[in-house]
Amino acid sequence: MKERRTVGDIFWRLMLFLWALGIILPMIWILYESLKTNREFYKDIWALPEQLQWNNYAKAWNYLGLGKGMLNTVYYVGCSLLFGVSFTALCAYALTRLQWKGKRLAWNLLMLSLLLPGINAIVPQYVIARLLHLTGKLSGLIFLNSAVLDIFSLMVVSGFMQTIPKELEESAFMDGASLFQVFRLIIVPLSMPGIVTISIFRFLALYNDFLGPYIYLSDKPEKYTIGVSMFMANQKMIYKSDWVSLFAGVIIAMVPTIIIYLIFQKTVTQGATLGAIKG
Amino acid sequence: MPSEGGYLLDRNITSTASVEDTRVPWYKKSQAQKWIFLTVVLGPAFACYFAFSLYPNILTAYYSFFRWDGIGPKIFIGLRNYAKMITDPFLYKALLNNLILASACPLLVIMISVILAYLLVTRRYKEAGFYKVLFFLPNVLSSVVVALLWTFIYNGQWGLLNKVLELIGIDMGGFYWLGSERTALLAIIPLYVWSGVGFYVIVFMNAINSIPPSLYESAILEGAGNMQRLFKITLPLISGVIRVGIIFMVLGSFKGFETILIMTNGGPYSSTNVIGLYMFNFAFSSTEIGGFNQHDFGYASTIGMFLFVVLVGANLIVNKFFKHEAVEF
Repeated sequence: MKERRTVGDIFWRLMLFLWALGIILPMIWILYESLKTNREFYKDIWALPEQLQWNNYAKAWNYLGLGKGMLNTVYYVGCSLLFGVSFTALCAYALTRLQWKGKRLAWNLLMLSLLLPGINAIVPQYVIARLLHLTGKLSGLIFLNSAVLDIFSLMVVSGFMQTIPKELEESAFMDGASLFQVFRLIIVPLSMPGIVTISIFRFLALYNDFLGPYIYLSDKPEKYTIGVSMFMANQKMIYKSDWVSLFAGVIIAMVPTIIIYLIFQKTVTQGATLGAIKG
Repeated sequence: MPSEGGYLLDRNITSTASVEDTRVPWYKKSQAQKWIFLTVVLGPAFACYFAFSLYPNILTAYYSFFRWDGIGPKIFIGLRNYAKMITDPFLYKALLNNLILASACPLLVIMISVILAYLLVTRRYKEAGFYKVLFFLPNVLSSVVVALLWTFIYNGQWGLLNKVLELIGIDMGGFYWLGSERTALLAIIPLYVWSGVGFYVIVFMNAINSIPPSLYESAILEGAGNMQRLFKITLPLISGVIRVGIIFMVLGSFKGFETILIMTNGGPYSSTNVIGLYMFNFAFSSTEIGGFNQHDFGYASTIGMFLFVVLVGANLIVNKFFKHEAVEF
């Protein structure tokens, strides 16, 4: 249905444009300043750099701990993603496709965590993790992020698994397939859209997590993830005003999530509303 | 291996009972496999779920009766943590800050995102697709990136805000927005709005798209204007989604403190402190806060209990305030 364009439209289009500008401007600004020298930056934030200082990125990578942080992050996110998503898929299979007594009770128990805020219990969580020697190392963080189920992910994958027709599974069993073979060859391929969706969201959540790594790695600077490294680098700026390098660091930290977002843009925007909002 | 005949029988006859003697039927074999699978997979899953999700909630209550620095022995002190809590002015300051954020942010986010979503869906400008992608962008950035970005914006010496104000002729004289008690908390609100709107634009776009176009068509035929259509058709029909969004955001604003931890760590003079951050700092911060001794896991847990009560209360209040009205169409 086409509508006539009115004077009001000019106003509304301007409003949309201004909001878009407000989103993009801070990022463009940081990118722009990250290519100057500190002297140029202090003198006039609007002036063009005499020469593009790509060197700032090398400085952020080498001296602000971003390089090490990125390496730790790749390891921690990669392993957590691999183990966590596999484990979630296995649990979803056991909780949807298999028939057993107590399944309802199990679901109700899991749903209980949706009522508990979680954040009020960070102190005991830390104490238990310390007791089990999971603090101060990336492997501990990986364990916590894979073995402790993310209920949202579990629900998304379970939703996909529930729609697979029972006959497929049964005929495979009759042909002599084992339970794990059925899971691997039938269930996983058919619930791939769900698994991809949760993988993207887990990636974003793990990569962007600050509080977890900050609490659990607190006294081990060589283990810091990208977020904690950035935070520490910012704290350092009080003594050493190398802002342009920090700006370069912020850009480096932004790039992986922006790339993933642009590639999987449709999945992200559709999935974002999947579990959260249901009228 | 089953005989060829048994194999065929198995596939053709629905009741497998008749061939039970020739081989172990698939459902019996799978029965054993099933229990092994359940034990191996769900056993650890539920063990971890109890250890790291449910049990800590109980432990919070338990720890709140102790004085404990996290390393030494726990000293039972009864209700003394609670007595200290109800007379703690810093906690009330934090609660007040939480309430300001929890009322301002959801309101602004909902208003802006409803308008943006309505424009993007109904006006169909050719740039709408691009805007939809762009508006969501802050939601995929980490809290560290967002917090640092806004710390830079508010910097007094070279911050973007002061420099833009300078361009239009307002000289702030190097005013540090996050360094003043008067402006620090207010400065945090735009950050939450900036990073929150994109998600709700998507949510409301989906909700508006699910309204049957015939409703709008007949309204246009009867001469309803743009504003009338927004207030008489769109808003009532997405009120359920708005309500859920508000609950979500109010609870989120009580839970979240990462951004504030990074930007101001509650300062200056507790003017941006929130309950979650106050709890966090008592347990984990290495700097002294409010004159109390640091690393007090017991008192941190007591604040955790308070936060729990506040969250449950907020949920109830928002639920009551925004009565659920189901609208059929």
